[in-house]
Amino acid sequence: MVAKTWTEQVHTSSLKFDDQGAGLKRRREHALEQFMSDGFPSRKHEEWRYTPLSRLAEGPCSPLLEPSEGIPESSDLPIEMMAKVVLLNGEFRQDLSDLSALPPAVRIQSLNQMRRTDPDQLASLLDQFLPQTSHPFHHLSDALLDDGVHIEVVEEGAKIESPIHILHIIDGQAHSGSAHVTGLIQVATGAHLDVIEEIRSTGEVLGNLRWGIGLDPQATLKRVRAFRPECASIFHGTRVVQQQGSRFDDLFSSSGGELIRNELHVIHEGTGCHCELLGAYVGRGKEHLDHHTTIDHKVEDCTSREVYRGVLSDRARGVFSGMIHVHQDAQRTDAKQSNDTILLSDTAEANTRPRLEIYADDVKCTHGATIGELDENAIFYLRSRGVSVDEARKIMVRAFTSEVFVQMEDRQLSDFIVNEIQESIQAVEVDHG
Amino acid sequence: MSGKKENSMLEIKGLCASVEGTTILRGIDLDVKAGEVHAIMGPNGSGKSTLANVLAGREDYSVDAGTVQYNGIDLLELSADERACEGIFLAFQYPVSIPGISNAYFLRTALNAVRRYRDESEVDPVDFLELVRSKMDLVGMDEKLLHRAVNDGFSGGEKKRNEILQMAVLDPKLAILDETDSGLDIDALRIVAEGVNALRKEERSIVVVTHYQRLLDYIVPDHVHVLSDGKIARSGDKSLALELEKEGYSWLQADDAKAGNNA
Repeated sequence: MVAKTWTEQVHTSSLKFDDQGAGLKRRREHALEQFMSDGFPSRKHEEWRYTPLSRLAEGPCSPLLEPSEGIPESSDLPIEMMAKVVLLNGEFRQDLSDLSALPPAVRIQSLNQMRRTDPDQLASLLDQFLPQTSHPFHHLSDALLDDGVHIEVVEEGAKIESPIHILHIIDGQAHSGSAHVTGLIQVATGAHLDVIEEIRSTGEVLGNLRWGIGLDPQATLKRVRAFRPECASIFHGTRVVQQQGSRFDDLFSSSGGELIRNELHVIHEGTGCHCELLGAYVGRGKEHLDHHTTIDHKVEDCTSREVYRGVLSDRARGVFSGMIHVHQDAQRTDAKQSNDTILLSDTAEANTRPRLEIYADDVKCTHGATIGELDENAIFYLRSRGVSVDEARKIMVRAFTSEVFVQMEDRQLSDFIVNEIQESIQAVEVDHG
Repeated sequence: MSGKKENSMLEIKGLCASVEGTTILRGIDLDVKAGEVHAIMGPNGSGKSTLANVLAGREDYSVDAGTVQYNGIDLLELSADERACEGIFLAFQYPVSIPGISNAYFLRTALNAVRRYRDESEVDPVDFLELVRSKMDLVGMDEKLLHRAVNDGFSGGEKKRNEILQMAVLDPKLAILDETDSGLDIDALRIVAEGVNALRKEERSIVVVTHYQRLLDYIVPDHVHVLSDGKIARSGDKSLALELEKEGYSWLQADDAKAGNNA
């Protein structure tokens, strides 16, 4: 049985790691035990109803990738960067990264190094920001924890002007396989940080990327994620814990993955927090783009705004499941959520599931979901000005997706992500009928 | 008149068109020469807007009979975007808003599409901005509208000015203004009309589709046609419009009734 091979391989690989501290050892053993008994969930599991994992579980991907020997080309972003962190097949590569301009207010460390030099601190950070839950990809990343990155703004009130660029390169040209990366980001009280995360991949690979983020009071973090992983499968999970008055902005764009599952869990632990979750995705071929978000409004006077938009052509499938959980004490919560999808073909499919659970009585929560087609009236308007039908349709796709980011004050970052989307639109067949 | 002016810009013969199986145009004949301004008037439902949209190439309408020659080419063979590139411009009765795309981007994309069609090089952003600014003065438009999404949240007057701005930038040979006066107060009407008048020139023809005579006080036509039940019921000079203003369209029904009795 092929599926058994996966768990066997995870078992064998996991046992090879020699953990220094008891905390890390315990996490790994627990995760391995869980994965051995649960494996990958079937479609009967509510949270995985629309996510096809059978191909992954039975496919040629092995649980681990060998370290890549070739040095892949990595182009620079059109934005000035504070630092660059390159994770090649899950390994933090100091030789490809550039931390030379890093100010003392920011510390960046490889998790592999922390495992050796500071295992107890790492275990306690992981327990704090990535507590173990019953989630197959979390089990995998804990059972196979090897490397990753810890980014910390240590100086209170430090405004870090340029973004940190995190580049995952998953090189499956020689062998298919999986890369598992765990990341931690902490921002000190009143400090600000921008992060741009990119994924590049070759070959049939799985990227399992998982982030734990902690924002101290009044801290702000703006994260841009631009995923264009070609044919890879990507699981990307983020858990954010926000303290009083902090703000988290997440700008997400994806296209071109065989299977992309984007999970976000934001927890407002302090009052007066705000989070802004903005996403745009463009799917074609048989791509599967899956978005699961949960916002836990635990305390009063917090706000959240979530806008996800998708454009799907061919046989692509988009899933959006958005939970807003307003706890009993979270009075005066203001939460807005919307998910809109445009289908460019009869065979594309969208599943959207907004979910609200409200246990406080003085709250404002709105949610909405639409599934539609391109506005033919607007297309005729463009054509009547000389624009060809193909270009007009692409412009309408661009208009629909980039509108998600128009309210962003940071033009540099929003322009960057709009350009990312624009490039993926160029590849989409937008023919009609 | 010069010999050149006698050349037809647009020659419509026996044009019949329908939408979703309902016949709307029942044999239109119209001859528009270069440099002329023609007004198409008529009551609601007479087919004015259909005529404008059929000429612009809207695919919701099907052309069932007749021919349309435009500068010697068969217009009906061309797609909507090809017609625009050949120099036909339709000012929309209801300009469409496109959230997410700035007015400037829209205009530049359109201008470059037309230029590419004509084998001209694309206009660079600096030259483009200069061009647009000069044309914005023409219609008294605020530059900040350039950076807003296309027609999104624009007032009625701003939308119509935006149409005339597009016309000025794209520099068409034949402009069709579909009810450009609708929804405008008298001040906005005057500004829009002045913009159109500034664009009148010998090589350009303009077809003004309107329900009311008042726009024609500002844009004075060379010819006026009254459309009724999908046909041109009467043609004349600008005095015909004044006559309509006084008498309304009721005489058309009387004529129709007479025609019905005779049949």
